Parts: sequence; C-alpha cells; structure tokens
Amino acid sequence: MNSTTDNQLMEEVKEGKVERLAILFERHQVPLYNFFLRLTGNRGTSEDLVQDVFFRILKYRSTYRGESKFTVWMYQIARNAHIDHLRKRKEEIPLEEQWDEASSREPGPSESVEQLQDIALLQQALAKLPLKKREVLVLSRFQNLKYKEIAELFDCHIGTVKAHVHRATKELGKIYFELSGGMVS
Amino acid sequence: MKCKHIKVKFPDFLIGELEDISKKEIQEHVSTCFSCREELESLSEIWTKLGVLPQEQPSDSLRSRFYGMLNAYKQGLEQEKVKPRVHKLRGGWLTHWWPRQPVFQVTFSLALLLVGLTAGYLLNLNGKKVYEVASLRQEVQGMRQTLAVSLLEQSSPTERLRGVGLSYRMEKPNKKIIQSLLDILNNDSNVNVRLAAVDALYLFHENPTVKEGLIQSLSRQTSPLIQVSLIDLMVNMRERRAIESLKELIQDEKLNPDVKNHAEQGIQQLTY
Repeated sequence: MNSTTDNQLMEEVKEGKVERLAILFERHQVPLYNFFLRLTGNRGTSEDLVQDVFFRILKYRSTYRGESKFTVWMYQIARNAHIDHLRKRKEEIPLEEQWDEASSREPGPSESVEQLQDIALLQQALAKLPLKKREVLVLSRFQNLKYKEIAELFDCHIGTVKAHVHRATKELGKIYFELSGGMVS
Repeated sequence: MKCKHIKVKFPDFLIGELEDISKKEIQEHVSTCFSCREELESLSEIWTKLGVLPQEQPSDSLRSRFYGMLNAYKQGLEQEKVKPRVHKLRGGWLTHWWPRQPVFQVTFSLALLLVGLTAGYLLNLNGKKVYEVASLRQEVQGMRQTLAVSLLEQSSPTERLRGVGLSYRMEKPNKKIIQSLLDILNNDSNVNVRLAAVDALYLFHENPTVKEGLIQSLSRQTSPLIQVSLIDLMVNMRERRAIESLKELIQDEKLNPDVKNHAEQGIQQLTY
C-alpha cells in the first residue's frame, strides 16, 4: 500500500494544494452519497449534499486538525450539512413518501421481485426511525465507522453509541416486522 | 443481572468485533436463556437483512459539478495571491509620490483626473472608441458566460437559479451554457430550477442542440409541472417532430391525467 492516506491528503489541501481534494472526492463520493441517500431517501438531494460537503471541506480546511481520522471529520461536516438542509427545507415531506420515487428505480438483473419488495420495506422502515438512531445505525452498518469513531463524531461515550445501535436495530426490526404484515421470511 | 451483562455485548457481536472469550460467554448464556436468545436472533436477522440495500452510484453530473467548483475555488485562490503584490507595490514607490497633507492629496487627485480625462479625449479622437467599446462588450459577455456556467454548477438551488437568470440575458450563449441548462433540465433535483431552465432554453430554441434536447427531455421528466411547460413549449415552437414524443408520453399509464389531456391537445394543435 503506497497510496497517500486521507489524513495526509487533507493536510496538503489545508496547506493550499486544493487540487488534492480531487483524490479525496474520488475516494469518498460514493459512500457519502449513499450515506445521504439512506438519511434523505432522495437522490437529487443526496448529490447536492455531497457537493455541499466538499465545498465546506474547502471553506473550512484551515480548521482541520489531523488528530482524528479524516472520515470522522468528513462525517461531522456531512451531519451538519444534512441538519442545515432539514432546517432550510420549508415543507416537511415525510421520508417514507420520498422513498417511493427512489424505490421505483430499475431493478438489477439479479434482483427478484421479493428482493425488491424487501429493499422497499427496509427503506421505509429505516425512514421511520428517529434521525439520530438512523444516523448511528447507517454509520455503523454501512459506512464502516467503528463505535469509537462514532462516539467521537457524536461527542459522547462509546457505551452510549453501543446502546443507541442496540436500540436502533431493535426498533428497526420491530418496524420492519409491522410493515411486512407480521410475516418475516 | 447476568442478562444485562450479556446484552451489553450484543452491538459488538453484530459487527463481529468480539473476543472469543466473550463470544463463548454469550453462546453459553443464550443456550439457557430464552429471552436473550430470541433478542439476539432478531437483532442479527435485521442486521444481516440490511445487507440487501444496494450501494447506489451517483450520476455523472455530481463529478462535473465537483470539478467545476474545485476549479473556481482554485482560480479564486490564485487571484487572492496576486492581491498582496499590489499592496507591496503601493507600499513601495507610491508612498514616495503620495503627498501627506490632505489638501495636497485632493489637488493631486484632481490633477490626475484631469490627465486621465485629457488622455481619454485624445484617444477618442484617434477613432479607437468604437473598437474598444466592441471589445469591451465582448469581454463582458465572456465574463457573464463564465459566471453563469459556474453558478449553474453550484450546490445551492438559489445560486443555480441566479445562473439560469443570467443565461436569459445572453445574446448568444455558448455550448457550455446550453449543455449546463439541458443538464439542469434533465437532472436538477429542484423543480423550480428545472422550470426556470425550460424558460431560458425556450429563448434559444432556434439552436438545433436546444431543440433536440428539449424534445428528448420530454420522456425523462416525471414532474407534471415540467411536463406541461415542455408540452406548451413544443406547441409554441410548432415542432412537428415532437408529436412522436407526445404520443409516447400518453402511452404511460402512470401519467397524470391533466398532463395527458394537455399532451393530447398538444398533438392536435401540432397535427392540424
């Protein structure tokens, strides 16, 4: 592994070599996009938010401290961008309604009807979780962040994060069970 | 008490980060405790199930928007680097020339103004004025186009709307602006921005790329608002080639009934 680490790249961006941000963008745009997609349920909004995150990284690059992992800092910015987006949005559209558009995407060749139904149900269930629980669950399940890193991100104790993951998973299971009409395959 | 102690370990069990000793402890406990076993099973089931959610790819426009933003930021930084040099210059030779007394400063400024006016007058006599105004206009037009393109690529919908607004005022928009407006029409997340793009593109509908882009865009739109304004536009353009696209549109079973009516009227108007 001779590739430059995220932290080294960000240090370079901080020093003024802003073109190095392109590598960080290429590395993180897809996971970040999916993070927002699971939070907002909307593709266009998710792309706007990814763009916003990288703009904020440039704008606040001088405040970057290399002590923590770059991704922790990036997700901190991502959470703020998402909260600002929620504040700005005038009419609150429930997340589960937004997912309708997203779930009507073209199915992949290997996806069966049942699998597509399952995906739609899980998305709906996820959308019904309160924001903080959804964030913690998505970060730990999909974004590969360690509990310790999530604790740093939320500025809380690692035990609290674990308790949140536990509760969020339990609640998600319950919602999923209800949505599938009490018949879990 | 034992149950509480075991349950604390569940989150680490889910991500597979548990030492063998703890894993064994959990296994031993759940083999005798029904409620803990049931809870662990349902947690694991939903945790595994989440794996079916696919990882999606963002559209290409995200990448082009990012690089547009990065370039604009870099240019801004380079311009800032030039500024301090100007300060240095002023701190150098200009301080020797610049009078310290305010009265002299005013006189000096007036004298400079006079020199400027005379020079301007003389230049004017040389007949260069028309040429200069033309090249200045061209320059402003160029700057406006660059600004519009960079605004169209911003993340905030308000900025993009400003970009579309600026495009209205162009006499002859370049290819890049036309492409950005078409991209916005097809991909922008905000319906207001997309609507504004329809209006802006209408102004340039004589351009073959725009005409083609508008016709093709009809089948990509899902918002009734955009569909209706595109249909109106086709009718106004008297674009007969759009009839096929409109016929295709009304075949869609999910189509909003109002849009369907509108499309049918449009076909009639274009046919006769």
